[in-house]
Amino acid sequence: MRNFSLCLVGLLCAGAFAEENKDAPARTIAITAERFVFTPSKIRMKQGEVVEFILTSEDTEHGFLVPGTSIHAIIPPRGKGELRVKFVANRKGEFFFECSRACGAGHNLMRGSIVVR
Amino acid sequence: MVNYPYPNMVKAVACLLFVGGLSAQTPEQERRLERLEQRMRQLDPSFTTSSAQSWEERLAALELKLDSALAGARPSDPKPQMPAPEPAKEPLSLLSVKGDYESSNDSESRMPVAGYMEAHFNKNRGEPGQADFHRFVLLFGHNFSRRIKFWSELEVEHSFVEGGEESGEVALEQAYLDFLIKPYFNLRAGMLLTPVGLVNERHEPPSFNGVERPFVETFIIPTTWRELGFGVTGDLGHGIRYRGYLMSALNATRLSAEDGLSASRTSGFEASFRNPAKALRVEYAGVRRLVLGFSGYTGRTGNQFLSVNPAVSIASVDGRYSYRRFDLRGLFANTWISQAGKLNMVLQRQNGLGANVGSEMRGAYIEPAIHVMPRKVRQDLILFTRYERFNTQHRMPAGFLPLAEFDRKALVTGFTFKPHADIALKFDYVLNYNASSVIRPLNALNLGLGWWF
Repeated sequence: MRNFSLCLVGLLCAGAFAEENKDAPARTIAITAERFVFTPSKIRMKQGEVVEFILTSEDTEHGFLVPGTSIHAIIPPRGKGELRVKFVANRKGEFFFECSRACGAGHNLMRGSIVVR
Repeated sequence: MVNYPYPNMVKAVACLLFVGGLSAQTPEQERRLERLEQRMRQLDPSFTTSSAQSWEERLAALELKLDSALAGARPSDPKPQMPAPEPAKEPLSLLSVKGDYESSNDSESRMPVAGYMEAHFNKNRGEPGQADFHRFVLLFGHNFSRRIKFWSELEVEHSFVEGGEESGEVALEQAYLDFLIKPYFNLRAGMLLTPVGLVNERHEPPSFNGVERPFVETFIIPTTWRELGFGVTGDLGHGIRYRGYLMSALNATRLSAEDGLSASRTSGFEASFRNPAKALRVEYAGVRRLVLGFSGYTGRTGNQFLSVNPAVSIASVDGRYSYRRFDLRGLFANTWISQAGKLNMVLQRQNGLGANVGSEMRGAYIEPAIHVMPRKVRQDLILFTRYERFNTQHRMPAGFLPLAEFDRKALVTGFTFKPHADIALKFDYVLNYNASSVIRPLNALNLGLGWWF
């Protein structure tokens, strides 16, 4: 009876943890967008990891685009809130993200990279 | 959901058949059966029964007709469909986007081009004020592919341009191609902004305080300073970025003590590439809201002369930092001009006036600012003061004496009000000083309206 109780408790704990992982909040990474730089500009994550970027602008409206994916949204200008983008890394590799809104003289180089290992 | 053509009758017949199967007929059931047979005949005149038939035979006939009616009404079996191929998983799958303000009332509709404009009102003490639509700039870009991009900036200055007249100018500020290879190594070629200082590459009106750009970034480091060239750019990670270019050189014939380097830009017009200048900027942006920059420039500028070919070299350090409501930015720049003595003699022979170019120029400024309103508020009111010190004759070549009027200081105090992050209403008052006891500079009041879109 004692063994059975222990097994039951173990199973319940395992089930609870499995459920918790499923709904676990993503790792959040705060990114600042400013003419003409994302800080940080290099993000490392693991394959299968769920990550949420919290993007805020220090100045004008910027875009957040990961070419080759459906990730594309607008970072509101300073004082107009934030953008939260949650995604999962399915594949290993290095992926660029870039500003997709013309934001000034150095717009083309406003880029960063996501390294999935 | 299948729709049969006779829904009520089907229900009634089914019910009757069910009841009929359980018990013998009654007069009421007999009447109901007759009514159903009549209705079936209305629908299908070929349907016939006879009162001579038994209850079971009439029910069986009705059942048969009902079956055939249902069979006729049944939709054909759907064609077997091949299962849709599972879409290939994206390397990064989007799960959710929150706070996206594109669909909110706050979002902006963007034009296919970007741009910025600024209008100024300047009044020196004791002189009438002047209004000027200083800059009207449009920016265009095009992506040939994900890795080849074009960017340009076309400017109309002082709102009016007339051939052969002293008025405004149309200028190509930037026009270049980026070849994006790796984050840490990319190529760039065309008309480029010289990567020196804080303002030259980041000169949109809402990006800096003050109606006019800092004096140090006018005389010691020219802005907007652009030259033809090519080079490499990249992000080395850990917040370190760099840009290194070979560019057309400055023009020594336009160096002067009055304007420092500001007039010596070729701006890509008949720019000499005989001795290309080298420019390098390294930035550190590894900490949020902190940017530190180190810039270096060197190039031979005497392409117009046979006897003298002075080198202009610049070293500058700059930084920007924001902490809560406080901003701080500052810059230090030093410029060396080789063969300045010979250059002065040549310029004097050529122009009849001594340019009195120093062998070393130096300038620095520091600008603390405070955002009066919290960050979350849409409007922004920034109070600032900027202290600048700059001397275009910090050191003179042998045989030349510096003039005290070029050892200058300025205290610029004012505010920037932003009803929107991209619109800046600016006001400042400039206290100008120099070391001369004879020539006194005029203080100035400036008003400006600038916007980015």
